[in-house]
Amino acid sequence: MSTAHGPDQVEIRVQGHLDERWTSWFDGLTVELEADGVTCLRGRVADQAALHGLLGRLRDLGIPLLSVAVVPPPPQQSGTEGTQP
Amino acid sequence: MADALLETKLLRPRTRRDTVPRTRLVGLLARAAQALVTVVSAPAGFGKTTLVETWLRTVDGPVAWVSLDGGDRRLTSFLPYVLTAIDRAVPGAASSARVLWGSGQAPVDSVLTGVVNELSVYDGDLTLVLDDYHLADGPDVAGAMAFLADHLPPQLHLVLSTRSDPALPLARLRARGELVEIRAADLRFDADEVSTYLNDLHDLALPADAVAALGSRTEGWVAALQLAVLSLRDRPDAARFIDRFTGDDRFVVDYLVEEVLRRQPEDVRRFLLDTSVLERLTAPLCAALTDDPGGARAMLDRLERDNLFVVPLDEHRRWFRYHHLFAEVLRAHLHQERPDDVADLHQRASRWFAQEGPVEEAVRHALAAGDPTTAADLAERAIPDLRRERREDVIRRWVDELPAEVVRERPVLAVGLIGGLVASNDLVRVEERLKAVEELLTRPPSDLIVAQPEELASVPARVEMYRAALALTAGDPAAAIHHAHRSRGLAPAGDDLSVAAASGLAGLASWATGDLVRAHESYVVCAAGLERAGYVADVLGCSLTIADLELALGRLGDADRTLRRALDLARRQGRDGEVLRGTADMLVALSRTAWHRDDLTAAAELLREADDLGESAGLPQQPYRWRVAMARLRAAEGDWSAAIELLDDAERVYVGDLSPPVHPVHATRARVLAASGDVGGARAWAREHGLGVGDDLTYLREYEHVTLARVLLAEHRAGGRQGVLAEVVALLDRLLEAAQAGGRGCSVIEIEALRALGHHAVGADERALDALEHAVDLAEPDGWVRYLLDPDLGDLLEALARRRPNRGLVARLVQRRAHGIRPSGVRSAAPDALPDPLSERELDVLRLLGSDLGGPAIARELFVSLNTVRTHTKHIYTKLGVNNRRAAISRAHQLGLLTRGR
Repeated sequence: MSTAHGPDQVEIRVQGHLDERWTSWFDGLTVELEADGVTCLRGRVADQAALHGLLGRLRDLGIPLLSVAVVPPPPQQSGTEGTQP
Repeated sequence: MADALLETKLLRPRTRRDTVPRTRLVGLLARAAQALVTVVSAPAGFGKTTLVETWLRTVDGPVAWVSLDGGDRRLTSFLPYVLTAIDRAVPGAASSARVLWGSGQAPVDSVLTGVVNELSVYDGDLTLVLDDYHLADGPDVAGAMAFLADHLPPQLHLVLSTRSDPALPLARLRARGELVEIRAADLRFDADEVSTYLNDLHDLALPADAVAALGSRTEGWVAALQLAVLSLRDRPDAARFIDRFTGDDRFVVDYLVEEVLRRQPEDVRRFLLDTSVLERLTAPLCAALTDDPGGARAMLDRLERDNLFVVPLDEHRRWFRYHHLFAEVLRAHLHQERPDDVADLHQRASRWFAQEGPVEEAVRHALAAGDPTTAADLAERAIPDLRRERREDVIRRWVDELPAEVVRERPVLAVGLIGGLVASNDLVRVEERLKAVEELLTRPPSDLIVAQPEELASVPARVEMYRAALALTAGDPAAAIHHAHRSRGLAPAGDDLSVAAASGLAGLASWATGDLVRAHESYVVCAAGLERAGYVADVLGCSLTIADLELALGRLGDADRTLRRALDLARRQGRDGEVLRGTADMLVALSRTAWHRDDLTAAAELLREADDLGESAGLPQQPYRWRVAMARLRAAEGDWSAAIELLDDAERVYVGDLSPPVHPVHATRARVLAASGDVGGARAWAREHGLGVGDDLTYLREYEHVTLARVLLAEHRAGGRQGVLAEVVALLDRLLEAAQAGGRGCSVIEIEALRALGHHAVGADERALDALEHAVDLAEPDGWVRYLLDPDLGDLLEALARRRPNRGLVARLVQRRAHGIRPSGVRSAAPDALPDPLSERELDVLRLLGSDLGGPAIARELFVSLNTVRTHTKHIYTKLGVNNRRAAISRAHQLGLLTRGR
């Protein structure tokens, strides 16, 4: 997933609006409320294992998963570390 | 404490009080009762566990229940729980399997096959429930479960309750009609059920439209409905609440939990949030987190009464957990409202578990508190005890969970973790880790972090010891011996365990190369060290090896003494009549020395005693060893068919240990064939194994080559080809030379006796007498007559008696022959000695119980129904006083039941 360019950006959409308090629970992803009761969790994940960890926690909450999109970041200057919580 | 945890995992949950009868699902469940596999797959909070538990109360037959957790993704954790649960539900069904798995030598498939075969003749139906299966569903476990699903006996019904569809070949099961699925769509409450739940069960007296609105908003999700009830209880403005609720887009659970929390008094709210970090709650633990020693018990009772999602985990209601969904949301609240408290709460939990155990929980909480340093210290201190208790699975898990940075500076911890890897055969990067530890030790002591200073001095010795283990596994015994010796040299005074471990490895390596004298020395050191270190069970295993070596070296009396001393130790060690595992093996080994002295009565008595002790007294190799010993006994009595039967059975139950296989059963079998006159069969064996008189001789194949000599002599006796004798004698000469060079006294006696026969057969009687005399000289001190009992030696013995009058042993043997004393009737009981003898049909079934055939296959063999087989099996078990197939066969051999009417 993430290699020389740093961690990827994910957008996970779920059914049901979530309170902002869930931000820290989901490792710093931002919580954005969209129309039709959809919530978009957006942010960086370190790697696939972290993504699956997140999906597992969503599963454990019973919140219906709508979509998962992974957006690679634009290529960065060489020598830049892309570590991100 | 560890036992308490085990109990909570195996306990069937108690049914909730507020359940709606799922009459709609009765049809589905009835099909589940017939199906082989039932999968209940739905997200958290859909009532899966409740449904399964309620359904089980109507099911006939025993139920084995396992509540899985994250640690069960590894087979080393998963399998023991499942096997224990099965064995508790159907005693005997998994006892052999558990021992087999514990041996570490048997692959998963053969362990599971054993259970399948036991259950396939069980006269009943067993339901195995795996709750929260998604937590264990990794590649290891999935592989084992797929095997099980492919071989399910009709008596076993698998029920998996899970949040994700399991990685099993569901499509195949579905196609064969062997799968029942209950999914979220089935579990959602319909309008009637919602109404029953809200109004009938909880007396909310809501009007129809309100009920409909709630049903639609929650989509029949029972966890949400439970939360709704908690929000609506005693609320005057129910209608307004429902309006707001249904008009809101918030995630249902999030909304309702917040609502429920808002309605709680502050002390309850605080308690809920504080304790949300725990997986399992008990009053004293909660008190440690909330700083309220007096109130915790009362609070837990109150929560349970108020139905606030607290689930009891044991029968005494000392341990609880929160319903998963509720706990998730509580934790999110805690993280948001009081983020700084989270680490502190985990720290308190860690400290409590560090005090009360189990240490795994203490480590887990320390890591969750973001305190890997404390976690590392706890782990380091706990490892010696975990090793002693054979809990290497916990150590193995820590390898993954402890961050590399903390391990990097802790040599004692690092070497302890390496032990966990080696114990689970995970050898790939062990050498790297060993080098890292050595590098660490070159740094100044002030750079090192050590929680157990007394262990630090042992680290260099342990490093070398693990290198020896690696070398052994890689098939390099010379390197293994080298490292083992270095390890012994590096071990500090008083570190008995390191010395013992290194010596054991050196012993094994020496044995593999045929250096029995050094092997023996090493094992003696090993046993002494183990005894001083208090590892009694391992002393037993070690003593068995020492006795084996002493026997091979021609020291029968020493072997006897070694075994008796170990047996004494075992008997002294057992508390409250508990029999130490390995005791039965001692008895079998003693029966072998008795056999060597031709004291068949004593041998039979020892084997009976070993069998009576039952499965728990035997090491994994015990069933095999017992059968071989019993076979030898029967052969000595001239009961050839019983001997063959036993050896075939021995091969079926064989499980190796680390020692070199120097007495393969197939060779023993050939000896029996030769002795019984089945020369053709014996010859076939030699061909099959590629054995010839001109072979290069190695220690590892000595037994086979001596067997070949016996076979050829028997062939000659039966009127076989001429000219073979010269070759046999040549082979025996070479074997003698090799045996003498290796100091293998036992083989020398046997080979000399055979040489005597060989020379006699070609008419070289002087040489024959010399050989026999040599054998007698060696055998006399310990009364080792076994190899001198061949009837064809009769003339020679008399000649020897004339040559050397007053030779005690010879005179005795001659006398024995003259009086026609033959071993006879040493069976401890005649076949009819059973108070309730087995019928012919039952005997037919019994014979097949000794095979690998499952119940349905046995039924086909006998042209009866499976039910008939099951009934017969049940009666057989009762009559023989056993509860599993293997024990039934042992008992049958004991009573000589298997060879009548063949």
